[in-house]
Amino acid sequence: MGLARTLAIRAVNLLLVLLLVLLLVVVIIGATGTSDRILMSIVRQEVSTYRQAISRTITNPEALEKAVETYRQELIKAYGLDKPWYTRIGDMLKRIILLDLGVSKSLQTFSGSNKVVDLIMERLPNTILLVTTATVLSFIIGLLVGVKLATAIGSKLDRALTYFSAISYALPTWWTGIIFILVFYFYLRIFPPGGMYSIPPPEDTLARLLDLFWHATLPIIVLVLATVGSNIYVTRTVVMNIAQEDFVLAAKAKGLPERIVRWRYIARVAAPPILTQLILGLAGSIGGAILTETVFGWPGMGLLFYQAIVSSDEALILGLVYVFTLVYVIARFVLEIFYVMLDPRVRI
Amino acid sequence: MISSKREMLRIFFSSSVSKLGVALLIILLAFSIYALVAFPPDYGKLVWNNPKAWENYPKSAPPSWVNFFTQSKLFEHKILETHEPVVFKAPDGTIKKLYYFDLDYDAGEFPKFFSMLMKDVRYWKSPPIITLKLMRPDGKTVELTSFIVSSPREGEKPPYSRYEKEPFILKIDSDVNVWRSVSSFLKESYGLSFSPSEIGKDPERFIFGSPIGSNFSSPLKGKYRFEVSVTTYDERDSVGDILLILGGSVYGLLGTDVIGRDIAIGVLLGFPTSLFIGIITSVIVTLIGCLLGIIGGYFGGKIDEVTQRVSDIVYNLPLLPLTIFLIFLMGSSIWNIVLLLIVFGWPGLTIVTRSIVLQLREAQYIEAAKSFGSSPWRIIFRHMLPQVMPFIVAQMIFYVPTFILLEAALSFLGLGDPSLPTWGQMLELGFRNGAIYLGLWWWIIPPGVMIVLTAFTFVLIALGMEPVVNPRLRTG
Repeated sequence: MGLARTLAIRAVNLLLVLLLVLLLVVVIIGATGTSDRILMSIVRQEVSTYRQAISRTITNPEALEKAVETYRQELIKAYGLDKPWYTRIGDMLKRIILLDLGVSKSLQTFSGSNKVVDLIMERLPNTILLVTTATVLSFIIGLLVGVKLATAIGSKLDRALTYFSAISYALPTWWTGIIFILVFYFYLRIFPPGGMYSIPPPEDTLARLLDLFWHATLPIIVLVLATVGSNIYVTRTVVMNIAQEDFVLAAKAKGLPERIVRWRYIARVAAPPILTQLILGLAGSIGGAILTETVFGWPGMGLLFYQAIVSSDEALILGLVYVFTLVYVIARFVLEIFYVMLDPRVRI
Repeated sequence: MISSKREMLRIFFSSSVSKLGVALLIILLAFSIYALVAFPPDYGKLVWNNPKAWENYPKSAPPSWVNFFTQSKLFEHKILETHEPVVFKAPDGTIKKLYYFDLDYDAGEFPKFFSMLMKDVRYWKSPPIITLKLMRPDGKTVELTSFIVSSPREGEKPPYSRYEKEPFILKIDSDVNVWRSVSSFLKESYGLSFSPSEIGKDPERFIFGSPIGSNFSSPLKGKYRFEVSVTTYDERDSVGDILLILGGSVYGLLGTDVIGRDIAIGVLLGFPTSLFIGIITSVIVTLIGCLLGIIGGYFGGKIDEVTQRVSDIVYNLPLLPLTIFLIFLMGSSIWNIVLLLIVFGWPGLTIVTRSIVLQLREAQYIEAAKSFGSSPWRIIFRHMLPQVMPFIVAQMIFYVPTFILLEAALSFLGLGDPSLPTWGQMLELGFRNGAIYLGLWWWIIPPGVMIVLTAFTFVLIALGMEPVVNPRLRTG
């Protein structure tokens, strides 16, 4: 079972990366005292819940204070706050993995919860929706245009593409987004300035879906623009190189139709290196999502990250770093499954 | 295969892409040097990020050249400064200094505000009397205000110093005395009666306008002359700078932001920071990356194993979330930003350099050198480095825009070094203050264009380097 074994090894490798990042993060927040602050705020929150609960049964203020203080000390002991941070590495790791990081200082979910885990889980699907759509679109456009261009190397279109890739490399995604809002919202009024739905959102399901499309158009175009140049460029170069191979010549000599040669002979071989490009661009897409969501007010994890930075919300930032890394690792693994399926040579 | 340095330069400069790139780079460097020479290093902290320093500037004003495109001319913000006064000495020892300020008014709108600023008044005997008069193009003169500097406090010894720390500011918009003077001026000159409080709603309209009936709808164009007279009673009495500020709705080359800061200055100050971060990071990353790559590739074994593993992991991290997290914890100083960009930046080059060195190691001339007994370092420096060098330089240049863009992104997320003005931070402030939704394009476009231009310059140079590195791409 070459396939399963290969994938298992990849999975273990990626998990190691995730664990390593987490360990690094835990050590850093431990050494800087950030983990103490996060735990203390969890303790404070639990103490205040406790105080409310017992204030109904204990009416004597002095006894109440005493009970609360005892409970506080118990909690501090339970969380290990009385010991140095490195004794809590394991506990902190578990806490981050389960997103058990207490509450956010200033942000809330739409249903009113301010727990870090609820906040992130509410925003996660929105980010996945945005990034996946943009990545898939960019990949398809890259493939179609790239394969086409590979047969027209040196043409005007081809040279224009070289300049386009250079400019798209130099364009910061977020600034493109800002200019898009200025042009398409402020001057032309054909797209909304941001957000995911109109306020109030349409009731009807179809209208709601269209509203979502309308709001997603600009951010998706911006994300696609940022990556499509290099996708086209890589596809074009890879396909061009393969098109010069002998087996392609042989296929052509056999008189096979151009379409079959192009998609069955060339594209099949070109797929793995093109996929590699997609894998390498993944980290960039996640970074791009943080900025694009911020600019367009798209209620995903990226915008949440920005809001957490602005309000110095340590627990939330910590949770987001973990989930971003997790999403990245999972997305990579999915792509690697494709890769192993496409290219049998990498199987062990 | 290996070409001489001169040959490489010839190939590099033979393409128009490289020429454009180098020309742009020279311009960028010239602006950076000018910014470094013209502004003190603590300008960012003391002036740029200090709202008090920009009090006299119009807020969110577009550039003055928009007047070329507007029907009615907008008033360009004016700050009139002191020239040498005309001095009259009376036989009784009274000295009268007259300061004149000329203004040629041709805008189709009234000034937004008008104020007078005075610093460092020093007197020995009696407090000076100060009067502000305006001579208008129609020959009429308005005496706007007249006041006496505050008298000595009990126990205070001469010289008496006034407005030393905080300048004296006369704001026409909130000064009832001025409104009264304007009210009596209107009565005398035009026979119009406006109460001081009616004038207080928009005093500039009455001061700089001439009525049609009783309607002040458009400004009186022509040459105005302000006269500030300072009457003192001692030879040694002195007055510092006097400024007259006329609030306009357009300002300078690139307009102002919401605090009133001159965007042209901000854009100028962004050059050295941006170039510094891009270049220094890229150079260090290249040094570390290629050193590790060469060592790993050449020596192999344990070192290679370790660097490969580490670079593999670091190369595969989601860069931006982690950088944000670390900058957030470490504090956003420019050095932390550079440090983190280096920490996350080196693996790419290590991986590529290693693979090149692995190929080179098998070359016959390296084998020959080995058989002569050359030391490994000699082989690396004499035989390998010259081969790898053009490639490394090209990579180094290609990394510059990456880091420039990353720093700009961090700045935009609010993690830029607060003591240095950067383009990313200007955009962040603009974004946070809703500049896009209000259409303040002059605040949003120039800093972004500068980021793109700077990054583009290095992309062009890197593209021009390609034929040098890869002989197959050479034409002619």
